[in-house]
Amino acid sequence: MAAKPGTASTTYSPVDPTHKTKPSIFTDSDWVRPDSRGFQQCRPAFFRTGAVNSASGSAYAEFGNTKVIVSVFGPRESKKAMMYSDVGRLNCNVSYTTFATHVRGQGSDNKEFSSMLHKALEGAIILESFPKTTVDVFALVLESGGSDLPVVISCASLALADAGIMMYDLVTSVSVSCLGKNLLIDPILEEESCQDGSLMIACMPSRYEVTQLTVTGELSAPNLSEAMQLCLDACAKLAQIMRSCLKEAASAAEE
Amino acid sequence: MVGLSEGEKEFIKGGIAQDLRSDGRKRYTYRPIYVETGVIPQANGSARVRLGATDVIASVKAELGKPSALQPDKGKVALFIDCSPTAEPTFEGRGGEELSAELSSALQRCLLGSKSGAGAGIDLSSLIVVEGKVCWDLYIDGLVISSDGNLLDALGAAIKAALSNTGIPTVHVVAGASNDEQPEVDISDEEFLHFDTSGVPVIVTLTKVGKHYIVDATSEEESQMSSAVSISINRQGHICGMTKRGGSGIDPSVILDMISVANFVSRQLIEKLDSEISAAEANEEDS
Repeated sequence: MAAKPGTASTTYSPVDPTHKTKPSIFTDSDWVRPDSRGFQQCRPAFFRTGAVNSASGSAYAEFGNTKVIVSVFGPRESKKAMMYSDVGRLNCNVSYTTFATHVRGQGSDNKEFSSMLHKALEGAIILESFPKTTVDVFALVLESGGSDLPVVISCASLALADAGIMMYDLVTSVSVSCLGKNLLIDPILEEESCQDGSLMIACMPSRYEVTQLTVTGELSAPNLSEAMQLCLDACAKLAQIMRSCLKEAASAAEE
Repeated sequence: MVGLSEGEKEFIKGGIAQDLRSDGRKRYTYRPIYVETGVIPQANGSARVRLGATDVIASVKAELGKPSALQPDKGKVALFIDCSPTAEPTFEGRGGEELSAELSSALQRCLLGSKSGAGAGIDLSSLIVVEGKVCWDLYIDGLVISSDGNLLDALGAAIKAALSNTGIPTVHVVAGASNDEQPEVDISDEEFLHFDTSGVPVIVTLTKVGKHYIVDATSEEESQMSSAVSISINRQGHICGMTKRGGSGIDPSVILDMISVANFVSRQLIEKLDSEISAAEANEEDS
């Protein structure tokens, strides 16, 4: 640090967090997204399985600046206090590192993510295949760069597949933001902070079933159906990427 | 917890399939709604809503606070739901906490809108007193007294009624304070501002049992559900929020179908609720 002695040392923040005024470009019809993507273009996705050695299965995902690591433990014995159950239990937890957000420790605002992850995954897992036991899914957001929950959900289903938990299908998730008249797929943090409405879908692409969906803010009915179709198409493509990642890992293990 | 025999389960499912439910309702009929306003004198606004055996109270309290640095031109709203163990023994301790958190986040999504403020039921800029200095903090608290299914719709209706019952004291800012100081304010105890609640959406929960979906499910019907979608719709028919509960997946075309049904049902519900709220307010003034 080149701070001169005597001057009060202030912490450095990469982006001024108080800068929240809506940039004028967002209202124009021909503006470009901050990362120069097309409106209906997702960020490049990167997946890697086997990120944590001690876990039964784990995965790392990176979508632009959003970086997430998920590890899966189990099936292992349920806690003693739990009652007998002839289907397995799923326990999900999403946490943020303190340095994941621009303002330190802001990630704890997203308390409902754990239950949302649980709801998105439980429909896809064949819980009957591990009675009396629990599968723990722990997700950690290393860096929050927008669309955190969809990335967590996709990454968690990949980690479950890596752990060999039986599932009906992979769960993929994509969100769409509505800004004025435009629909933006896979929004980044800046876009999320000034969105008028947003839609998140988690689905099983091969079965064409939605396991979780949330809408926040105002969306008209035609906009909503367009956004849903956009999400579902993107989910199907994301599933292909995830499948090829699993195949790569499997063929590497054989050699 | 609902304990049902195999026969009872079949009876409920069969009834829904034939459009005649166990209490004689059709699939898209609500139970009668009773609204009472001004039930909590300490609060700025309150309402009690009964929907069959489901009984909830919502209260709105306003306190003067400081707007956040990120949004200096807006007031703040906090929404909490409490599931009391008096409603059901399973709500004791952690059991209630989980449901409370789920209901709170669903209601926040359905009523408070997105980050830019579009789709919000409450106009946050009306809560500002002095920009960047003083604003009203609104605390909306919901309490579940008795639970017989469809808590989310009942709480949504109770909050809507409580907001229309809310009077916020008018504030006179004492002039002459310099820019850096916290301005002095004078709170009037006679004049009150009322909210325009026509934009507050209603929540319609469609519960899928078997192949069909129903509105306003009782807890017995809820125990047989495969999934439920809660849709909040305002007077213009715009969707302001949506959440899904229940584990199993739904086909996307079914969701679009549900939205159009919810749109139709919400119009009746808004009308019914409006007349109930105005009747309740008239009743309160008489007494």
